[in-house]
Amino acid sequence: MSVAELKERHAAATETMNNLRERLRQRRQQLLDTDVAGYASSHGRTPVTFGPTDLVCCRTLQGHTGKVYSLDWTPERNRIVSASQDGRLIVWNSLTSQKTHAIKLPCAWVMTCAFSPTSQSVACGGLDSMCSIFNLNSPTDRDGNLPVSKTLSGHKGYVSCCQYVPDEDIHIITSSGDRTCVLWDITTGLRTSVFGGEFQSGHTADVLSVSINGSNSRMFVSGSCDATARLWDTRAASRAVRTFHGHEGDVNTVKFFPDGNRFGTGSDDGTCRLFDIRTGHQLQVYYQQPSDNEVPHVTSIAFSISGRLLFAGYSNGDCYVWDTLLARVVLNLGSLQNSHDSRISCLGLSADGSALCTGSWDTNLKIWAFGGYRKVI
Amino acid sequence: MAARSGVSSSVPSLPPPCPKSPPEYPDLYGKRRETAKVQMLEREIRFLEEELKSVESLQSASRYCKEVTDFVMANSDPLIPTSQKNRKSYRFWKWLCGLSCFNLSWICCCCYSWHSCHLKCPRSCKCSLCDCSSCKCYSCNCNSCLSCCTIPKWRCCSCPKSSCCRKISCSRNCCIFQFPSCTDCCCCGWKCCCPKCPKIRPCRNCTKTCCNPCCLLF
Repeated sequence: MSVAELKERHAAATETMNNLRERLRQRRQQLLDTDVAGYASSHGRTPVTFGPTDLVCCRTLQGHTGKVYSLDWTPERNRIVSASQDGRLIVWNSLTSQKTHAIKLPCAWVMTCAFSPTSQSVACGGLDSMCSIFNLNSPTDRDGNLPVSKTLSGHKGYVSCCQYVPDEDIHIITSSGDRTCVLWDITTGLRTSVFGGEFQSGHTADVLSVSINGSNSRMFVSGSCDATARLWDTRAASRAVRTFHGHEGDVNTVKFFPDGNRFGTGSDDGTCRLFDIRTGHQLQVYYQQPSDNEVPHVTSIAFSISGRLLFAGYSNGDCYVWDTLLARVVLNLGSLQNSHDSRISCLGLSADGSALCTGSWDTNLKIWAFGGYRKVI
Repeated sequence: MAARSGVSSSVPSLPPPCPKSPPEYPDLYGKRRETAKVQMLEREIRFLEEELKSVESLQSASRYCKEVTDFVMANSDPLIPTSQKNRKSYRFWKWLCGLSCFNLSWICCCCYSWHSCHLKCPRSCKCSLCDCSSCKCYSCNCNSCLSCCTIPKWRCCSCPKSSCCRKISCSRNCCIFQFPSCTDCCCCGWKCCCPKCPKIRPCRNCTKTCCNPCCLLF
């Protein structure tokens, strides 16, 4: 077959693919008889209400000298690791605000960090296209720096996000600007599986975020600049289990819902969405029309432990607390007293769900917890 | 040798020299790349056809919206307390929360956790000021939850003393209700970030006054 014939075949296949996608979109639309807000309000649910002093900033963690890009809680013991443009990881005791470690990174352009499940190690990655592992119990070198205990190299683009596989310190999943996600064996430093890529069915643009299912650690979701989120099974890397369409811009952040059957997304289109992993249904869109014409991007999201609250950080400094059942904003942490002075770039909930940590371009981290007494009907 | 004059040459003139064109190699790289693209598209078409078939058997979204709602309503959330309990201890915490320096309701004196403390203490807990039924030590049957409970969380986990064994069961003085204390105290590194701290009472480990909640309580 000549190149010209191949190009004709390519064009025909593209048209067939687009027609199938449209048919699929229409069929899915027909199945969306309601959304979560419609169902919950028709069954008598009323929104959560917060008073001005109910969710308060309890701690401000000061120490970074550059924008904070990423943070992660330990599964226990209330410690936090944060990554900043100043080229350091800091490990904090969130209860006392003490810094237990300040790790100078070999590459200052860090974009993500993560705590290992046993809290013995931290991982980070960024523009160096590598994921570096630090053992917090290692002795420091002559300069007082914690040495890198393992380097995971193989990505052909920046490392945008990393997360340890729950309950084991051995495996970690990274997402990258090279359009792939990779499952690594930290012990050997080798790639166990590559999800997506040039000749595999996967994302068609930079992958920005991953989230591993807490109920089934073989499943994870990824969010990408191709405006989709994809569900992956680590046992079958050749193709995504499902692709979730709907967003109209980069999907910057993904996070599993506490029940493990849904996940949330946040995007440059200003919306957060809730998808069902078993069916692909888009169950809810969380969007509030901004007062000016500029739609802020969603930079980070987290669910409360019950799933009732969705915390979403935006590029304009807002941090909306959404009632996930009624799809209403019940609080804006960005407008509270003692809030951040700049964009909230990352946020995360403590393992027991009792505190939220936000990280910002103002170089600080803040801990938020419930300071009042509320009754929910 | 000079050509003879007056005689026209019958030998045809040679064309000017020019380099040979390179042989026409087939564009294998371009062909293979195009073939790979077509194969990927055809594979994507197969995936879409499979998905279209599976969608036919899906239930409508309302069933899954119900699942979400039921799950959320069935689970408690420390950021959204569901009911009001124990008015007596609540009044004490409310008084503490009224201090200009601190809103202490987020610190449980028993488990030193972030959640609002309006609940009863476990019977084995020496703290009589709060009620921590959501604290793990509530189920502890030993005489003292201090020695065997995984909570309180502050016990030894962040004691800065190099001599601290950092075990949950550590009974060293630095780890029993005395950590953290005040900024300059050698046994801890507590730093009060509140500019209006009243510094209510002396730290147990030193002579400095401290607004640390643990110093307030014990």
